[in-house]
Amino acid sequence: MALVGAGALGGIAFHRGEPLNATWFVVATACCYLVAYRFYSAFIAARLLTLDDTRATPSERHDDGRDFVPTNKWILFGHHFAAIAGPGPLVGPTLAAQFGYLPGTLWLIAGAVFAGCVQDFIILFCSIRRDGKTLGEIAREEVSQRGGFIAQLAVLAIMVILLGVVALVIVNALKSSPWATFTLAATIPIALLLGLYLRFLRPGRVLEASFIGVALVLFVVVAGQWVAESPSWAHVFTLSGVTLAFALIAYGFAASALPVWLLLAPRDYLSAFIKAGAIFSLAAGILLVRPQVLMPPLTRFIDGSGPVFAGKIFPFCFITIACGAISGFHSLISSGTTPKMILRESHARFIGYGAMLMESFVGVMAMIAACAMTPGVYFAINSPASIVGATSDAAASTISSWGYPLRAQTMTDLARSVGEQTLLNRAGGAPSLAVGMAQIFSSTIGGPRLLSIWYHFAIMFEALFILTVLDAGTRVGRFMVQELGGRVWKPFARTAWWPGILISSALIVGAWGYFLYQGVVDPLGGINSLWPLFGISNQLLAAVALVVATTILLKMKRIRWIWLTLIPMAWLIIITMTASYQKIFDPNPRLGFLSYANALAAQIAAGKIPAAKIADTQRVIFNQRLDAAVTAVLAAMIIVLIIEALLQWYRILSSDPKSVLHETAYVATRWPQDFSGALYTATVAEPDAPAMEG
Amino acid sequence: MHSVQAEHHGHAGKTCAFVFAIWPGRLAVKLWMGIREWCGDSAYERYLQAPRTNSEKSRLLTPAEFYVERVNRRYSRPNRCC
Repeated sequence: MALVGAGALGGIAFHRGEPLNATWFVVATACCYLVAYRFYSAFIAARLLTLDDTRATPSERHDDGRDFVPTNKWILFGHHFAAIAGPGPLVGPTLAAQFGYLPGTLWLIAGAVFAGCVQDFIILFCSIRRDGKTLGEIAREEVSQRGGFIAQLAVLAIMVILLGVVALVIVNALKSSPWATFTLAATIPIALLLGLYLRFLRPGRVLEASFIGVALVLFVVVAGQWVAESPSWAHVFTLSGVTLAFALIAYGFAASALPVWLLLAPRDYLSAFIKAGAIFSLAAGILLVRPQVLMPPLTRFIDGSGPVFAGKIFPFCFITIACGAISGFHSLISSGTTPKMILRESHARFIGYGAMLMESFVGVMAMIAACAMTPGVYFAINSPASIVGATSDAAASTISSWGYPLRAQTMTDLARSVGEQTLLNRAGGAPSLAVGMAQIFSSTIGGPRLLSIWYHFAIMFEALFILTVLDAGTRVGRFMVQELGGRVWKPFARTAWWPGILISSALIVGAWGYFLYQGVVDPLGGINSLWPLFGISNQLLAAVALVVATTILLKMKRIRWIWLTLIPMAWLIIITMTASYQKIFDPNPRLGFLSYANALAAQIAAGKIPAAKIADTQRVIFNQRLDAAVTAVLAAMIIVLIIEALLQWYRILSSDPKSVLHETAYVATRWPQDFSGALYTATVAEPDAPAMEG
Repeated sequence: MHSVQAEHHGHAGKTCAFVFAIWPGRLAVKLWMGIREWCGDSAYERYLQAPRTNSEKSRLLTPAEFYVERVNRRYSRPNRCC
């Protein structure tokens, strides 16, 4: 398997000339991941963490049927994967395809194997050994009080930026598209209907409600075509970017403040089923169709002049592909629900390491879908109007001049075949991924006749689960704001106090809404500024998680194997700091926030901006300076955390008695060795027996 | 000879029944129960099975109360990633 994987990887890396078949990608990735899982994760489990199946996990010691629920490892794998797999591994690789297929694919594979999976696995292990404590709590105990506070702030920062940027991805996919807008809007009453069904009619019957919901959602995907073809209805659902932004802000506020059973939970159930279905269908479609990868291995844009986003291959390829290779956000899931449900310590390897490998595989599929398009079409969809022009003729002329031939008629025909007025300037990755997915799906079922249905199914799938991230994230952000506010004024922390709910919801929605709005009105398309900012904050959180993991390993006296976390941590710090520096100070106005602000200010001073546009331009200048300040704060946070960690490591290595490991005490498991899950083997578990205390 | 053949056929028949009927049936049941558990459909049944003290036994939540409490708890911490 190693030889086959190495051969396929070599084929991808050294192939030149004719287009490459996607099968090479699938084989290379699958072989690398299987070998990594078999050997590297086993090595980590045995040598570094010494997982112990005789030790009772939190789910056994605190089994309450609510938070702490012993769960079969396959089912928990499904839970964990559904929780970590969001829009990131789809959008990031799609955007990074502007460098060509090679750098992104290599980073997806290597990043996942040596960094992302290691982070998820070790943080899950650390949380299991600490009764399911969160990353912030672990950082506070094992690094320092300040380290814990920084971790909490980093989580809040990433949450705000993440929500702003994923909302921007939806806006760019829906603007001027009545079909897609209607489909997504219709999922709101469907979710409300399911909410009422699950609350009053058949409490907790998630499966039957989800079947009804999925059927209704598939119906509205088809019905969207009728809306788009009706002039009066199409007019109602043809919305501009700014209108969509305000609609999303209002939706986020409602989802945060309304009872969770009414809107948020049923939408999440719908999203989970459609997400699982779409991902498996994409994998099956790629295997069946085996599309040709038309993008070259490396494009001319590795020099930093890319139209999708500015910045050289280093560090921006590693910042852009965040979640498919390593994502700090995963450490919140690994130290959240999963450790409270895990049955045995050894399952942490399959769930922590294995689920991240699968997420990375989703990223590779997204890369294949993006690169299976003609490069000219890819750049026409993903580039802002200020770079390629707003018309098909202008875009075709500009993109052809870069060496990627494109006919204006191709874009017109493609837009018509997917049921859209235009596909130009749809920065954000979602529409180009939807085109790629639709081409693969329609090659399997339906042919060109169903291309428009598949395109809107793919858009609905992406938008639906982005919206789920948006409303679930807004609610969690609201709780964080309330917790932080409660430190200043205690009543604010009461989660059932209505003024507190409304104020904290408004604060969190206002924060990400501001980023969304600035992205929508940004002449460079918004994604150019915001996606790197999101990547930096996400990788910053991953660095925080790896700092915590390294500290714990040092306390566990695993000095010989410390490089396993130390090297990915150092790599993340290098790319985060380099990207932060370039985003703030680079003299290229497309890359550096300050130089862009200064260039606009100079244009105003020189009288080159029309009077009517001066106020808008000044707003853009302010936004660029704000982004620079946010980036600087994020970088400062990681510097402070590194200093805290270095002090702690010095204390550990000099055997300071204050540096102790905060693991829970060993308690032997009472479960038989073959106990494999909660419900259908529950008779083994003696449900009435009292749980053993630690 | 005849009895050996009959025994052989009987054994083969049992194997066929296992491969074509029993094993897929068991797999389908396991899969169905797994999906129910994955999506939370069986969460209330699992809650009823959980060990609890006598005071907790006297005030068990109804399915509707349990559902609302469960989703409230679930969506008060990060549970969907980027």
